[in-house]
Amino acid sequence: MLRGVGQVVALAAGAAVVWWLLSNLITNLNRSGIPTDFGFLTRPTQFTIAYAPAFEARSPVWQMVLVGIKNTLLAGFVGILLASVLGLVVGIARLSENWLASRLATVFVEFFRNIPPLVVIIFFGAAVFTFGPLPVLSEAIEISVPGSSDTLLLLSNDRWGIPGFVSRGDVPAYLGVLVVGLAVAALLWIWRTRVNLSIGEPHHRVLWSLAALLAFAVLGYVVLGGPFGIEWPSLSENRRVIASGFAMNWGFLALTGALALYTASHIAEIVRGSIQAVPKGQTEASSALALNGFQRYRFVVLPQAMRIAVPPMINQFLNLIKNTSLGVAVAYAELATLTRISIGNGRPAVQSIVVMMVVYLAFSLTISVILNVVNRRLQLVTR
Amino acid sequence: MTATAERAPAPPRASPLGWIKERLFRNVWSGFVSVVLIAVVAYMGYRAFAFVFINGQWDAISRNLANFMIGRFPRDQIWRLVAQILLLGLGLGVGAGTASGTARDKAEESGLTYEPPTLLGTLRRFWSLIAFVVVILFMAGTRGPWLVAGGAVVLGYIGWQSWRLPRTVRLLSWLVTGLLLLAAFQVVSGTDGLAWVPVALVVAMAAWLVVPVDRLDSPWRQLAGLGAAAAGVAIVYLIYQEIAAPGVGWDQWSGMNLTLWWSAIVITLAFPAGLLLGLARRSSLPALRYLATTYIELIRGVPLITLLFMGEFILGFMLPAGTSLSSISRSIAAGTLFTAAYVAEIIRGGLQSLPLGQTEAGQALGMGTPVILRKIVLPQALRAVIPAMVGQFISLFKDSSLLFIIGVTDFLRVRAIVHAQPDFRVVAHAETLVFVAIGFWAIAYAMSRESQRLERKLGVGVR
Repeated sequence: MLRGVGQVVALAAGAAVVWWLLSNLITNLNRSGIPTDFGFLTRPTQFTIAYAPAFEARSPVWQMVLVGIKNTLLAGFVGILLASVLGLVVGIARLSENWLASRLATVFVEFFRNIPPLVVIIFFGAAVFTFGPLPVLSEAIEISVPGSSDTLLLLSNDRWGIPGFVSRGDVPAYLGVLVVGLAVAALLWIWRTRVNLSIGEPHHRVLWSLAALLAFAVLGYVVLGGPFGIEWPSLSENRRVIASGFAMNWGFLALTGALALYTASHIAEIVRGSIQAVPKGQTEASSALALNGFQRYRFVVLPQAMRIAVPPMINQFLNLIKNTSLGVAVAYAELATLTRISIGNGRPAVQSIVVMMVVYLAFSLTISVILNVVNRRLQLVTR
Repeated sequence: MTATAERAPAPPRASPLGWIKERLFRNVWSGFVSVVLIAVVAYMGYRAFAFVFINGQWDAISRNLANFMIGRFPRDQIWRLVAQILLLGLGLGVGAGTASGTARDKAEESGLTYEPPTLLGTLRRFWSLIAFVVVILFMAGTRGPWLVAGGAVVLGYIGWQSWRLPRTVRLLSWLVTGLLLLAAFQVVSGTDGLAWVPVALVVAMAAWLVVPVDRLDSPWRQLAGLGAAAAGVAIVYLIYQEIAAPGVGWDQWSGMNLTLWWSAIVITLAFPAGLLLGLARRSSLPALRYLATTYIELIRGVPLITLLFMGEFILGFMLPAGTSLSSISRSIAAGTLFTAAYVAEIIRGGLQSLPLGQTEAGQALGMGTPVILRKIVLPQALRAVIPAMVGQFISLFKDSSLLFIIGVTDFLRVRAIVHAQPDFRVVAHAETLVFVAIGFWAIAYAMSRESQRLERKLGVGVR
């Protein structure tokens, strides 16, 4: 009885607060003549986005949201890739027997973990790019490939160019060949596992599958007459844009660079912690079974460390994606920046922020679903 | 372990050369890594040395130290900040002394001798913070700041002596700590308006806890406690009627001062909210549980910046027409809503770490749910979450840099004032950013070491 009353009271109080806030909101918006529907999404944005020439002032607002999502995911994806590699290296270095390596790794972790990522982003943005030592684009530093006249890197205070891929033929057909290769590799994997289980012959399934995949990749490339090639970065005739290769703007570089460093410091701690969390007896037992160093790590330590490391790692990835919203500080055209610009241009604030929040929530939900699936797969199977 | 267990003999101390061979050049691979890293360290060390001592334009900072610390704070009111620093020194000293005293009580209970922290140990614990303050004092170059800092240290030391007090006054010295910290806040913010409310809350809570009610019967017990609390509130209210005086509201705070107070205010407001949310999430009432879970998951799914934007663009519309809040107040509201969800998750972790037997034992003794919560569950759960709460405070402190984005002059945005000066329009950007980064780092690093120390001391996560 009392429990029922308590719940009703709690619900009523919660509903009353929300209703009070919302009714104030609607009243105030109506009084100020601000629209309360989502019709603005199909109307023109009336501004252009730097470094997105395809986007015009008359493109509707929903396309702006898509550009924002694309840029958020691009920064998030590249940042996760860099942070994982760097974090793995630093985390392993912290456990190294080499005194200098472990000390430097500790300094790296303690330094970047305790500095707000926003400060690092702005450091890159202001002290490296805007007011930094790099030249303007028309006088960009060109670093060439050793022993060739091709440019490997184009460095300026505005945009950097790196080699990119360019299509020279039937790329979809080549992708088809790769899919077939993957299927064959998977079949070989299953076959070798079966052989191993039935007659005990060493399976070498990694070698078999990789060889098959590589064979398909190389043969497909040759047969289709080179469907794609590497394109070196270069400036246009008037030296005002990067004409070929893959161009990255300074906001992207500052944001992903800083977030990669910040997240790497956290990932390094996860890597170190999870390797150390594997009981020492496990290593000793595998030594007693005459496993060598590689086998010890591959078959005994890493599988157990992975179980501890993967959930917090995925959490870090989610944090990195949420942190891409700090791109506001370097005017990188991701979701939060574009939302803010569009509110500044007179789009209704409430609806714009709702759209932004829904997108971030969608990212978070997706990742927590992945996390749950991974957790279930990794869970220790006990009696 | 038995008393006969002997220590293993210490390994022979390696000679320096042997040490280098063992730790840097153990095998070819290790030697290669060492050579590369030595080259990298030498180059970076050279560049850093040149930056710090030769080509860095550090006058951008030394000429703007006051801006970095207090920003746009009205300069004729600086005496308030001096009083605040001195009160903070005393208050934190009493707080640390009380914590040490509690540790001494515990040690004596279990028949151990208590060793108070040494000067060297304290210096080592807070070295990053101390180094940062000393560098600032040297850069300031005048006597005033040295006197203020020295005064705060002396007062802190005097306050710390409270660990010698007998254990019966521990609760009282926690109360004094709280009141001193509130006084430090209000000597700047003023004692008019609603300033009496937080003080009355602290006093009421203390009165409720202090009144010796254990010998009274149940209904009288409650009544006596409530009476004492009400009397405390009334006294505080009357005192504040007498001493009411306007101060400098937080809308005018900025610089490092704002960054620190913003984080402190937000965590103070978010803690009770998060505690309630965490309890609601573990409640057996489904309606409460779903409400709390929905709130927590929604907030944790979005970045802080979206809430700051909400505070900036929407909050004004959600209040009755005519009310206006400064952007600092709105950012505090947004920060509190955000942090409460994370605090709730920490509290939930603490609650989950308690074995069910604790609650069941309370029920077996015929206690009601509120008593079980207050006497059994919360004391243990809250103790277990202290390190995690410090961690959350560090992350909030780092997040306070986001005030930059909504245009509030925090420690990071002071750079806008500096680089608006004709001398530093396009130069010294690296210098000011390095200074800001080191400032954040020194404080966050000291706190993170402290949280690791607490974790070891409280034995959290160790069976």
